[in-house]
Amino acid sequence: MDCEFVPSVCSYCGTGCGVLFEVIDGRINRTLPLKSHPVNQGKLCIKGWNLHEYINSYMRLKGPLVRENGRLEKATWDEAVNQAARRFTRIKEEHGPDSIGVLVSAKITNEENYLAQKLTRAVIGTNNVDHCARL
Amino acid sequence: MDMVKAAKELLLQDRVDIFLGYHKLDGHQIPHGFTKARVADLDQLEISLNRYPLEKIACDLAQKDPTLKIGILARDCSQRALNLLYTWDQLNPENIETLTVNCCPSSLSTHGDCSYLKPKTTGEYKKAHGIDYNDSPKDFMAEHDSQDRLSRWMYEFQKCIKCYGCRNVCPVCFCKECSLEHPNLVEPGVLPAEVPIFHLIRATHMAGRCIDCGLCEDACPAHIPLRMLYREVNDAVSDIFGYVPGDHIEKSPFSIIGKTVELTPAPMDV
Repeated sequence: MDCEFVPSVCSYCGTGCGVLFEVIDGRINRTLPLKSHPVNQGKLCIKGWNLHEYINSYMRLKGPLVRENGRLEKATWDEAVNQAARRFTRIKEEHGPDSIGVLVSAKITNEENYLAQKLTRAVIGTNNVDHCARL
Repeated sequence: MDMVKAAKELLLQDRVDIFLGYHKLDGHQIPHGFTKARVADLDQLEISLNRYPLEKIACDLAQKDPTLKIGILARDCSQRALNLLYTWDQLNPENIETLTVNCCPSSLSTHGDCSYLKPKTTGEYKKAHGIDYNDSPKDFMAEHDSQDRLSRWMYEFQKCIKCYGCRNVCPVCFCKECSLEHPNLVEPGVLPAEVPIFHLIRATHMAGRCIDCGLCEDACPAHIPLRMLYREVNDAVSDIFGYVPGDHIEKSPFSIIGKTVELTPAPMDV
């Protein structure tokens, strides 16, 4: 049996608490606070303590889905991205860029958040962009 | 004997399948499960001042494979936790090997490795309105009247953010169904925590359980002096039953459910 610990950063909000994943045989089994982390100093909130639950959730989305005839169907990334781009372009042409808003997430990295706002402002052409961790 | 050498021997002689110790990763001293396949990693074995509940990790491993032989780097508190987990049948003592760390300095050994060697400092406001970390339960009882004690504990309890960290980090909290998650006792999803009942539920469950390792107090984001609270309830248990949790491998006076009670009744007015 294999048991290792992986330090990481909590992805629930923008505070950036250090967490430690207990990984048994390649599966995250428990989350502990990272005691030597300068931000949280060995403490966590209830969300951080249960960080491993959404990673192992059976409801977790593992691939792109496209809604066809009212039902979500599995699709390839190319199909999904092309369809999203096509429909966003149509909405923008019909109703203007301010008809689109973008909500980004603390569960993605700082760099990905930067790219998302860049896409919103430079490609879609609206300032309607906000973040779930704007505490 | 040298710690690294001793741990290597345990693995190479197949006395343990996995050895739980600490190593340094990205500048953080964190726990690690050393195995025979990568025995050279043990050169990086550290004692680490950051204590993690290695016994709880051992329980997680034993739950997945009850026959797994586990070696543990054990401080005094870990040893007490292991004794308690043996008595409550959570770990099999035959499957556990410990390498003892000198964590408490004495006249015989001046060196010690524990994050508790320096007493915690209590701020002035906390001293005036709350509870001093370093106060002993008996002094606290003697120095303050019941009204004052209640207001001080309530000051501490009302800071609770209900993170369940005290329970989650506790090496002796192993119940599958936790009273703190029972909807009739603690309403789920409601903040602030219902005080003092939330803390008193945990305190009563820590009676005869708590091995005074202090990990709960370390993990508490609200700086509640949990260690003192559980010392207070444990004092009652040791006064009435003469039982100190984790001191020896002996049955707890509370492990009597479904069996004949052989305890002699004692007065409760301690």
